[in-house]
Amino acid sequence: MASLHKVAAHTMRTAARPTLSRRVPALCRHQTGAAADVPEPPIPMTGIIARAPSSQAVQTPSASMIRDNPDYNVAVDYRTSNFSPIPARVMDGSEPGETTPAAVLSGAPVELQARTVRIYRPAKPATQSGDWHHQHWRMDWDVMSKGHRWENPLMGWQSSADFMQGTHLNFKSRDDAIMFANKQGYEYFVQEPNERRIIPKAYANQFVHQPKKLKQIRTK
Amino acid sequence: MAKAPTTLRRQDHEHDQAEPRKPRGSQDIFTMVINPTYLAQRTRSSASWGDAKQRVLHSYRDWVRSAPEIQQMYSLNMPVSAIRTKMRQEFERHRYVAQLRTVDVLLFNSHQEFQETLNFWKQLTHVLKYFRAEEDPKAKLPQNFIQGFIEGRN
Repeated sequence: MASLHKVAAHTMRTAARPTLSRRVPALCRHQTGAAADVPEPPIPMTGIIARAPSSQAVQTPSASMIRDNPDYNVAVDYRTSNFSPIPARVMDGSEPGETTPAAVLSGAPVELQARTVRIYRPAKPATQSGDWHHQHWRMDWDVMSKGHRWENPLMGWQSSADFMQGTHLNFKSRDDAIMFANKQGYEYFVQEPNERRIIPKAYANQFVHQPKKLKQIRTK
Repeated sequence: MAKAPTTLRRQDHEHDQAEPRKPRGSQDIFTMVINPTYLAQRTRSSASWGDAKQRVLHSYRDWVRSAPEIQQMYSLNMPVSAIRTKMRQEFERHRYVAQLRTVDVLLFNSHQEFQETLNFWKQLTHVLKYFRAEEDPKAKLPQNFIQGFIEGRN
Protein backbone atom coordinates (compact mmCIF):
# COMPACT_ATOMS: atom_id res chain seq x y z
CA MET A 1 0.00 0.00 0.00
CA ALA A 2 1.41 3.37 -0.85
CA SER A 3 1.98 5.49 2.14
CA LEU A 4 -0.42 8.35 2.02
CA HIS A 5 1.00 11.60 3.29
CA LYS A 6 -1.76 14.01 4.04
CA VAL A 7 -0.02 17.31 3.71
CA ALA A 8 -2.00 20.11 5.26
CA ALA A 9 -1.30 22.60 2.56
CA HIS A 10 -2.60 25.51 4.54
CA THR A 11 -1.28 24.85 7.97
CA MET A 12 0.80 27.98 7.64
CA ARG A 13 -2.17 30.03 6.69
CA THR A 14 -4.38 31.44 9.31
CA ALA A 15 -7.38 29.55 10.54
CA ALA A 16 -8.77 32.71 12.02
CA ARG A 17 -8.78 34.84 8.91
CA PRO A 18 -12.27 36.27 8.55
CA THR A 19 -14.29 35.71 5.43
CA LEU A 20 -15.00 38.31 2.80
CA SER A 21 -18.40 39.26 4.15
CA ARG A 22 -17.30 39.68 7.73
CA ARG A 23 -13.94 41.20 7.12
CA VAL A 24 -12.95 44.31 8.99
CA PRO A 25 -9.67 46.13 8.48
CA ALA A 26 -7.74 44.65 11.37
CA LEU A 27 -4.51 45.52 13.02
CA CYS A 28 -1.47 44.75 10.94
CA ARG A 29 0.48 41.88 12.32
CA HIS A 30 3.53 41.24 10.19
CA GLN A 31 5.81 38.29 10.14
CA THR A 32 9.24 39.29 11.35
CA GLY A 33 12.36 38.33 9.49
CA ALA A 34 12.64 38.35 5.74
CA ALA A 35 9.74 40.68 5.18
CA ALA A 36 11.29 43.52 7.13
CA ASP A 37 12.57 45.41 4.11
CA VAL A 38 9.29 45.28 2.17
CA PRO A 39 7.58 48.68 2.32
CA GLU A 40 4.40 48.52 4.29
CA PRO A 41 1.30 48.75 2.14
CA PRO A 42 -1.11 51.51 3.12
CA ILE A 43 -4.03 49.14 2.65
CA PRO A 44 -4.46 47.31 5.97
CA MET A 45 -3.86 43.58 5.86
CA THR A 46 -5.70 41.11 8.01
CA GLY A 47 -3.70 39.54 10.77
CA ILE A 48 -1.74 36.65 9.37
CA ILE A 49 -0.77 34.26 12.10
CA ALA A 50 2.42 32.40 11.33
CA ARG A 51 2.25 28.83 12.49
CA ALA A 52 5.17 26.54 13.03
CA PRO A 53 5.40 24.15 10.10
CA SER A 54 4.03 20.79 11.16
CA SER A 55 5.56 17.52 10.10
CA GLN A 56 3.95 15.74 7.26
CA ALA A 57 2.71 12.76 9.21
CA VAL A 58 1.08 14.65 12.07
CA GLN A 59 -2.07 16.62 11.50
CA THR A 60 -2.46 19.61 13.76
CA PRO A 61 -6.00 20.16 14.99
CA SER A 62 -6.19 23.45 13.14
CA ALA A 63 -5.48 21.82 9.79
CA SER A 64 -8.28 19.32 10.12
CA MET A 65 -10.52 22.08 11.39
CA ILE A 66 -9.84 24.03 8.24
CA ARG A 67 -10.58 21.03 6.10
CA ASP A 68 -13.75 19.94 7.86
CA ASN A 69 -15.22 23.37 8.30
CA PRO A 70 -16.37 24.68 4.98
CA ASP A 71 -16.74 28.39 4.78
CA TYR A 72 -20.32 29.11 3.83
CA ASN A 73 -19.79 32.84 3.44
CA VAL A 74 -17.33 32.64 0.61
CA ALA A 75 -17.90 35.07 -2.24
CA VAL A 76 -19.87 33.45 -5.00
CA ASP A 77 -18.90 33.96 -8.62
CA TYR A 78 -20.88 33.49 -11.77
CA ARG A 79 -19.90 29.86 -12.14
CA THR A 80 -21.25 28.65 -8.81
CA SER A 81 -23.90 26.01 -9.30
CA ASN A 82 -25.84 23.33 -7.48
CA PHE A 83 -22.87 21.03 -7.68
CA SER A 84 -20.14 23.35 -6.48
CA PRO A 85 -18.41 22.15 -3.36
CA ILE A 86 -17.87 24.68 -0.61
CA PRO A 87 -14.29 25.77 -0.07
CA ALA A 88 -12.71 25.87 3.34
CA ARG A 89 -10.80 28.99 2.48
CA VAL A 90 -10.33 31.01 -0.67
CA MET A 91 -7.08 32.58 -1.66
CA ASP A 92 -7.33 36.35 -1.71
CA GLY A 93 -3.80 37.53 -2.24
CA SER A 94 -3.03 38.35 1.37
CA GLU A 95 -0.97 35.22 2.00
CA PRO A 96 2.60 35.93 3.07
CA GLY A 97 5.51 34.86 0.91
CA GLU A 98 6.64 35.31 -2.65
CA THR A 99 4.20 32.85 -4.25
CA THR A 100 2.18 34.46 -6.99
CA PRO A 101 -1.49 34.34 -5.95
CA ALA A 102 -2.55 32.86 -9.25
CA ALA A 103 -5.95 31.90 -7.88
CA VAL A 104 -6.76 35.59 -7.60
CA LEU A 105 -5.51 36.50 -11.05
CA SER A 106 -6.36 33.55 -13.21
CA GLY A 107 -10.10 33.99 -13.19
CA ALA A 108 -10.58 30.30 -12.47
CA PRO A 109 -13.80 29.27 -10.71
CA VAL A 110 -13.71 29.67 -6.95
CA GLU A 111 -15.02 26.15 -6.47
CA LEU A 112 -11.72 24.73 -7.73
CA GLN A 113 -10.20 25.82 -4.47
CA ALA A 114 -12.65 23.57 -2.67
CA ARG A 115 -11.57 20.42 -4.41
CA THR A 116 -8.69 18.28 -3.29
CA VAL A 117 -5.99 17.40 -5.74
CA ARG A 118 -3.81 14.31 -5.65
CA ILE A 119 -0.13 14.55 -6.59
CA TYR A 120 1.39 11.20 -7.41
CA ARG A 121 3.62 9.33 -9.74
CA PRO A 122 1.66 7.06 -12.06
CA ALA A 123 2.51 3.44 -11.42
CA LYS A 124 4.33 1.35 -13.95
CA PRO A 125 2.15 -1.34 -15.50
CA ALA A 126 3.02 -4.85 -14.33
CA THR A 127 4.82 -5.86 -17.47
CA GLN A 128 8.40 -6.66 -18.23
CA SER A 129 8.86 -3.47 -20.25
CA GLY A 130 11.04 -0.64 -19.03
CA ASP A 131 9.90 2.12 -16.70
CA TRP A 132 11.28 5.23 -18.31
CA HIS A 133 7.79 6.54 -19.07
CA HIS A 134 6.77 6.98 -15.48
CA GLN A 135 9.33 9.41 -14.09
CA HIS A 136 6.98 12.39 -14.08
CA TRP A 137 4.54 13.53 -11.41
CA ARG A 138 0.88 13.91 -12.08
CA MET A 139 -1.86 16.05 -10.54
CA ASP A 140 -5.34 14.60 -10.55
CA TRP A 141 -8.64 15.94 -9.24
CA ASP A 142 -10.66 14.03 -6.71
CA VAL A 143 -14.14 12.95 -7.59
CA MET A 144 -16.95 15.33 -6.66
CA SER A 145 -19.48 14.13 -4.13
CA LYS A 146 -22.47 15.40 -6.06
CA GLY A 147 -22.73 15.68 -9.80
CA HIS A 148 -19.81 13.50 -10.65
CA ARG A 149 -21.76 11.34 -13.04
CA TRP A 150 -25.34 10.54 -13.84
CA GLU A 151 -27.18 8.94 -16.71
CA ASN A 152 -28.74 11.19 -19.30
CA PRO A 153 -32.50 10.59 -19.11
CA LEU A 154 -33.02 10.72 -22.85
CA MET A 155 -30.27 8.58 -24.29
CA GLY A 156 -28.60 7.01 -21.30
CA TRP A 157 -25.30 8.75 -21.97
CA GLN A 158 -23.03 9.52 -19.09
CA SER A 159 -23.36 13.16 -18.05
CA SER A 160 -21.18 14.95 -15.58
CA ALA A 161 -21.03 18.28 -13.82
CA ASP A 162 -17.36 17.83 -13.12
CA PHE A 163 -15.37 19.88 -15.55
CA MET A 164 -12.06 18.58 -14.24
CA GLN A 165 -12.85 14.93 -14.72
CA GLY A 166 -10.42 13.36 -17.09
CA THR A 167 -7.96 16.22 -16.65
CA HIS A 168 -4.52 15.74 -15.31
CA LEU A 169 -1.39 17.86 -15.29
CA ASN A 170 2.12 16.50 -15.56
CA PHE A 171 5.13 17.89 -13.75
CA LYS A 172 8.81 17.10 -13.76
CA SER A 173 9.11 16.89 -9.99
CA ARG A 174 7.06 16.71 -6.81
CA ASP A 175 8.09 20.22 -5.76
CA ASP A 176 6.91 21.68 -9.05
CA ALA A 177 3.52 20.13 -8.51
CA ILE A 178 3.31 21.35 -4.92
CA MET A 179 4.27 24.87 -5.93
CA PHE A 180 1.63 24.85 -8.59
CA ALA A 181 -1.03 23.67 -6.15
CA ASN A 182 -0.01 26.35 -3.66
CA LYS A 183 -0.06 29.02 -6.33
CA GLN A 184 -3.54 28.08 -7.47
CA GLY A 185 -4.91 27.68 -3.96
CA TYR A 186 -5.72 24.00 -4.30
CA GLU A 187 -5.92 21.66 -1.35
CA TYR A 188 -3.60 18.80 -2.12
CA PHE A 189 -2.11 15.63 -0.80
CA VAL A 190 0.99 13.87 -2.02
CA GLN A 191 0.93 10.14 -2.58
CA GLU A 192 4.41 8.68 -2.34
CA PRO A 193 5.24 6.23 -5.12
CA ASN A 194 5.93 2.57 -4.52
CA GLU A 195 9.50 2.10 -5.53
CA ARG A 196 10.45 -1.13 -7.16
CA ARG A 197 12.88 -3.19 -5.16
CA ILE A 198 15.23 -5.46 -7.05
CA ILE A 199 17.32 -7.73 -4.82
CA PRO A 200 20.44 -9.16 -6.42
CA LYS A 201 20.44 -12.92 -5.92
CA ALA A 202 23.04 -15.51 -6.70
CA TYR A 203 22.26 -19.21 -6.66
CA ALA A 204 25.71 -20.05 -5.37
CA ASN A 205 25.02 -18.24 -2.09
CA GLN A 206 22.93 -21.17 -0.96
CA PHE A 207 26.06 -23.38 -0.80
CA VAL A 208 28.30 -20.96 1.05
CA HIS A 209 29.51 -22.47 4.39
CA GLN A 210 27.78 -21.07 7.47
CA PRO A 211 28.74 -22.29 10.97
CA LYS A 212 25.24 -21.69 12.31
CA LYS A 213 21.86 -23.05 11.29
CA LEU A 214 21.19 -22.73 7.57
CA LYS A 215 18.56 -20.21 6.56
CA GLN A 216 17.01 -20.51 3.15
CA ILE A 217 15.33 -17.37 1.95
CA ARG A 218 13.46 -18.05 -1.20
CA THR A 219 12.13 -14.67 -2.30
CA LYS A 220 13.76 -11.88 -0.38
CA MET B 1 -25.99 54.00 -28.52
CA ALA B 2 -27.47 57.47 -29.09
CA LYS B 3 -24.81 58.66 -26.72
CA ALA B 4 -22.04 58.75 -29.33
CA PRO B 5 -21.91 62.55 -29.79
CA THR B 6 -21.42 62.94 -26.06
CA THR B 7 -18.70 60.34 -26.21
CA LEU B 8 -16.87 62.20 -28.95
CA ARG B 9 -17.00 65.41 -26.99
CA ARG B 10 -15.28 63.93 -23.96
CA GLN B 11 -11.63 64.76 -23.44
CA ASP B 12 -9.29 61.82 -23.27
CA HIS B 13 -5.94 63.14 -22.16
CA GLU B 14 -4.13 59.84 -22.56
CA HIS B 15 -5.30 59.23 -26.08
CA ASP B 16 -2.56 58.89 -28.70
CA GLN B 17 -2.93 61.75 -31.11
CA ALA B 18 -2.85 59.93 -34.41
CA GLU B 19 -5.09 62.44 -36.16
CA PRO B 20 -5.49 66.22 -35.69
CA ARG B 21 -7.99 66.97 -32.98
CA LYS B 22 -11.18 68.72 -34.02
CA PRO B 23 -11.99 72.05 -32.32
CA ARG B 24 -14.17 71.52 -29.32
CA GLY B 25 -17.25 73.25 -30.58
CA SER B 26 -17.75 71.20 -33.73
CA GLN B 27 -19.61 67.93 -33.45
CA ASP B 28 -19.50 66.10 -36.69
CA ILE B 29 -22.29 63.62 -36.26
CA PHE B 30 -22.00 62.22 -39.76
CA THR B 31 -18.67 60.58 -38.93
CA MET B 32 -20.06 58.94 -35.84
CA VAL B 33 -17.34 56.38 -35.45
CA ILE B 34 -16.58 54.93 -32.07
CA ASN B 35 -12.87 55.32 -31.86
CA PRO B 36 -11.49 51.88 -31.02
CA THR B 37 -8.73 53.29 -28.90
CA TYR B 38 -11.02 55.36 -26.74
CA LEU B 39 -10.16 54.71 -23.10
CA ALA B 40 -6.95 52.94 -24.06
CA GLN B 41 -4.29 53.21 -21.42
CA ARG B 42 -0.61 52.70 -21.66
CA THR B 43 0.53 49.68 -19.68
CA ARG B 44 2.58 50.59 -16.65
CA SER B 45 3.63 49.17 -13.35
CA SER B 46 3.02 50.93 -10.10
CA ALA B 47 6.16 52.51 -8.72
CA SER B 48 5.13 52.07 -5.10
CA TRP B 49 2.20 51.31 -2.87
CA GLY B 50 1.25 54.96 -2.84
CA ASP B 51 1.15 55.00 -6.62
CA ALA B 52 -0.90 51.82 -6.65
CA LYS B 53 -3.35 53.26 -4.13
CA GLN B 54 -3.82 56.32 -6.26
CA ARG B 55 -4.41 54.25 -9.38
CA VAL B 56 -6.91 52.06 -7.56
CA LEU B 57 -8.83 55.07 -6.30
CA HIS B 58 -8.88 56.69 -9.75
CA SER B 59 -10.10 53.44 -11.26
CA TYR B 60 -12.82 53.16 -8.63
CA ARG B 61 -13.96 56.69 -9.20
CA ASP B 62 -14.10 56.11 -12.95
CA TRP B 63 -16.27 53.08 -12.44
CA VAL B 64 -18.65 54.73 -10.02
CA ARG B 65 -18.95 57.78 -12.23
CA SER B 66 -19.86 55.61 -15.17
CA ALA B 67 -22.64 53.65 -13.42
CA PRO B 68 -25.59 55.66 -14.83
CA GLU B 69 -24.15 55.38 -18.30
CA ILE B 70 -23.78 51.62 -17.98
CA GLN B 71 -27.35 51.33 -16.78
CA GLN B 72 -28.58 53.25 -19.77
CA MET B 73 -26.36 51.57 -22.34
CA TYR B 74 -27.27 48.03 -21.41
CA SER B 75 -30.83 48.76 -20.25
CA LEU B 76 -30.29 47.14 -16.90
CA ASN B 77 -33.37 46.62 -14.74
CA MET B 78 -31.75 47.71 -11.54
CA PRO B 79 -31.09 51.02 -9.83
CA VAL B 80 -27.78 52.75 -10.24
CA SER B 81 -27.07 52.12 -6.57
CA ALA B 82 -27.16 48.38 -7.16
CA ILE B 83 -24.58 48.73 -9.92
CA ARG B 84 -22.39 50.84 -7.67
CA THR B 85 -22.71 48.29 -4.89
CA LYS B 86 -21.55 45.60 -7.24
CA MET B 87 -18.56 47.69 -8.28
CA ARG B 88 -17.68 48.24 -4.65
CA GLN B 89 -18.04 44.55 -3.99
CA GLU B 90 -15.61 43.67 -6.77
CA PHE B 91 -13.06 46.12 -5.47
CA GLU B 92 -13.46 44.87 -1.90
CA ARG B 93 -12.86 41.32 -3.03
CA HIS B 94 -9.21 42.23 -3.59
CA ARG B 95 -8.72 44.59 -0.70
CA TYR B 96 -6.12 42.54 1.12
CA VAL B 97 -3.75 41.74 -1.70
CA ALA B 98 -0.22 41.92 -0.36
CA GLN B 99 1.90 41.99 -3.51
CA LEU B 100 2.38 45.00 -5.73
CA ARG B 101 2.62 43.00 -8.94
CA THR B 102 -0.70 41.36 -8.22
CA VAL B 103 -2.24 44.77 -7.73
CA ASP B 104 -0.83 45.82 -11.10
CA VAL B 105 -2.46 42.89 -12.85
CA LEU B 106 -5.75 43.54 -11.08
CA LEU B 107 -5.63 47.18 -12.13
CA PHE B 108 -5.02 46.16 -15.68
CA ASN B 109 -7.96 43.78 -15.59
CA SER B 110 -10.17 46.42 -14.05
CA HIS B 111 -9.34 48.90 -16.75
CA GLN B 112 -9.82 46.29 -19.43
CA GLU B 113 -13.32 45.60 -18.16
CA PHE B 114 -13.98 49.31 -17.94
CA GLN B 115 -12.96 49.91 -21.52
CA GLU B 116 -14.93 46.97 -22.81
CA THR B 117 -18.03 48.01 -20.92
CA LEU B 118 -18.02 51.65 -21.86
CA ASN B 119 -17.15 51.11 -25.48
CA PHE B 120 -20.16 48.84 -25.74
CA TRP B 121 -18.03 45.90 -26.74
CA LYS B 122 -19.82 43.77 -24.19
CA GLN B 123 -23.34 42.47 -24.43
CA LEU B 124 -26.02 42.28 -21.80
CA THR B 125 -25.11 38.73 -20.97
CA HIS B 126 -21.52 39.69 -20.17
CA VAL B 127 -22.57 42.49 -17.88
CA LEU B 128 -25.14 40.33 -16.13
CA LYS B 129 -22.49 37.77 -15.25
CA TYR B 130 -21.58 40.03 -12.37
CA PHE B 131 -25.14 39.89 -11.05
CA ARG B 132 -25.71 36.18 -11.26
CA ALA B 133 -25.41 35.68 -7.52
CA GLU B 134 -28.35 37.98 -6.93
CA GLU B 135 -30.56 36.89 -9.77
CA ASP B 136 -30.15 33.13 -10.09
CA PRO B 137 -31.38 31.02 -7.16
CA LYS B 138 -29.20 28.13 -8.28
CA ALA B 139 -26.03 30.16 -7.83
CA LYS B 140 -26.23 30.18 -4.06
CA LEU B 141 -24.11 28.28 -1.65
CA PRO B 142 -25.93 26.67 1.27
CA GLN B 143 -26.10 28.70 4.46
CA ASN B 144 -25.13 26.04 6.93
CA PHE B 145 -24.22 22.43 7.33
CA ILE B 146 -27.74 21.00 7.39
CA GLN B 147 -28.77 22.71 4.20
CA GLY B 148 -25.60 21.56 2.50
CA PHE B 149 -26.16 18.05 3.76
CA ILE B 150 -29.68 17.96 2.38
CA GLU B 151 -28.48 19.21 -0.97
CA GLY B 152 -25.71 16.65 -1.01
CA ARG B 153 -22.71 18.94 -1.26
CA ASN B 154 -19.67 18.23 0.84
